[in-house]
Amino acid sequence: MTIKLTYPPKSKMRSGRRFLLSILRWPFIAAAIACPIVNLAVGGPAWSIIALLSLYAVWTMVLSTDLVEYNRTSQTIKTVVFICVLLTLIDVLLAPGWAAFVVPLVYFGGIILSTVLFFTNFEKQKHNILPLILFLFFGILGSAVALSIWHEHDFWPYIVTGSTSLLCLVVIIISMGQDFLRELKRRFHVK
Amino acid sequence: MEKINIAFYEFLESLSDGEREVIQHFFSEFDINFAVSKAERRRFRQDFERAIVALCERGVPLSEALERLSLKNLGGFYARPSIMWFPLDDAAKIYPISMEHDRQQMFRLSVYLKEDVVPEILQMALTFAIKRFPAFATTLKKGFFWHYLDAVKKRFAVEEECTAPLGAIKVSMSGSGSFRLLYYGNRISAEFFHVLTDGTGGMVFLKVVVAEYLRLLGVVPSDRGDLWDIDETPTLDEFENTFPKVERAKSGSGFVDRRALQMNGRLSRRRPCRIIHFRMNSAQLREAAKRHGGTVTAYLLTEMFFACSAATDELSGEINIQVPVNMRKFYPSKTVRNFSMYCGVRIPIDKVISKDEIVKEVTEQLKVKADEPAMQEMITAAVRLVSSLRYIPLVIKQPIAKFVYGFLSEKSYTTTLSNLGVVTMPEELSRHIERMDFCLGPMAVNRLACAAVTFGDTTMFSISKMTADPSFEEKMLSLLESEGIEAEVEGSEYYDH
Repeated sequence: MTIKLTYPPKSKMRSGRRFLLSILRWPFIAAAIACPIVNLAVGGPAWSIIALLSLYAVWTMVLSTDLVEYNRTSQTIKTVVFICVLLTLIDVLLAPGWAAFVVPLVYFGGIILSTVLFFTNFEKQKHNILPLILFLFFGILGSAVALSIWHEHDFWPYIVTGSTSLLCLVVIIISMGQDFLRELKRRFHVK
Repeated sequence: MEKINIAFYEFLESLSDGEREVIQHFFSEFDINFAVSKAERRRFRQDFERAIVALCERGVPLSEALERLSLKNLGGFYARPSIMWFPLDDAAKIYPISMEHDRQQMFRLSVYLKEDVVPEILQMALTFAIKRFPAFATTLKKGFFWHYLDAVKKRFAVEEECTAPLGAIKVSMSGSGSFRLLYYGNRISAEFFHVLTDGTGGMVFLKVVVAEYLRLLGVVPSDRGDLWDIDETPTLDEFENTFPKVERAKSGSGFVDRRALQMNGRLSRRRPCRIIHFRMNSAQLREAAKRHGGTVTAYLLTEMFFACSAATDELSGEINIQVPVNMRKFYPSKTVRNFSMYCGVRIPIDKVISKDEIVKEVTEQLKVKADEPAMQEMITAAVRLVSSLRYIPLVIKQPIAKFVYGFLSEKSYTTTLSNLGVVTMPEELSRHIERMDFCLGPMAVNRLACAAVTFGDTTMFSISKMTADPSFEEKMLSLLESEGIEAEVEGSEYYDH
């Protein structure tokens, strides 16, 4: 069958991401299978859980990124959340005793960073606010829960994180005014 | 960019003082029409400058060019910040959930003009026409429960087609659109992510853009017919989710189906890896359909059953061809959002023997499965499903829906035939249009998808291929030719590396 060509010729360039994914998929899968097997074989603490989560973090943040709303706010928050979860797991599984103090401080750093990034590109980022709202909300909630559980320990990191989250949320609400309500309405719609 | 500015300044220098003053006056109100960033405003201005030069180079007097490009055509669209948003319609909700990096539910509509496209004028046509389609001037966003479309006021750029068609649209960045408008030689193509619209809605949009393009070139129809007027104010019913408005059937069904045969051939990495069009005389096609006692759709489906049989080594099992059904014919609606459902025409492969019998069987199945009661049941099922999932956070819904839709749903059919039917344009505009085509986008499991559209006396039957195996199209062509239908074959190279 002879086809009259009416489309542009194929370009020599490969799709970079597709090529990278096709190559890296197999080492990732191999590592994901090998880690738990080796862990079970040699025994000891469940370090493979940390390895698996780290692999997932690299996969989702570098290789197979978000398909909707890939922006500075969402990516910063995603990174901070992964770091906090990994730190917590390291504490629980490998070296206990410090995460309850360190994690809220990392979270606090994430709040400051994401709020600064939000306000330095306000007009654009105000349409990308959902991850930040959830991040601040969980900052307040998490701090309140932690304070009620560990009130006899060193609790200032939670006070700092919780109050900063609340402050940032208030500042964002004031800055956005009506837009904040509009944004909430569309972000939480069920239509 | 520099080159373009130089061209405009050279053009200015060639004008008289009076004409320069006219241009200065034209741009005096420019800034207040664009409440966008400085860089974006500069790009808009350059579009206008390029269009003025392009029109004048075609011999249009300056005053006439400025009149055609009048800022009034913007209708204040870019002068206001964006506050609108649109929930996804019930059919569209699955698309962002099930998409992948290199695979989106896409389709493409093209208009072939009798002359090469003037890109500068096409850009202005899009800039002027987009205001009539506020749901298209949007960016996809992620809500807590569902995705939605957020209005965005930006310059939607036309692009020269330089890569394989129907590639995924990058919808992840802030403000990125869900459609692209392309040109290549004499062809204007609109590629849509299905989240925005269906074939009917997409065609309304493309017709408006082409009409606006031709208006800018001086072709004005005396009677617009069903062509939308870009100066009219958009109304809610044009962008509504019409599914919930359909009266519910007593029971909802139609989504789950048995597995169907798949054609053979290794799936390509790049999908679709090739586009093939059969350019046919619509009268010959109608005549062949009439000879066998069916409609054009039934006849094409019949030939497809034979071609599918030739493209698989299986000797038993059922071939199931999915046929999208436009709901507007049962429930009149002006919406340009998705408002179509589908049915499956299913025939065992060992029964694909006599053409006349297959036409009869297909016609009967279409009569039952593509009729209002069946469609009403399917809509009811869709609306119920969406309603039952509405309070489940997206983060939970997404992985489940992705698996179910991407893996299971396509396995229940062999291929698809979407026939948009006869598309018309006002007489004066038709004189400048050669033909149209319609292509479906990538599939996960199916080896190909077919679409057809008729404009004037030309029917374009398009095959979007997901495999290099040429069995289907070769058989299809020989079947059509054996019926006396002359088909010119056009298309793309094989794009997979």
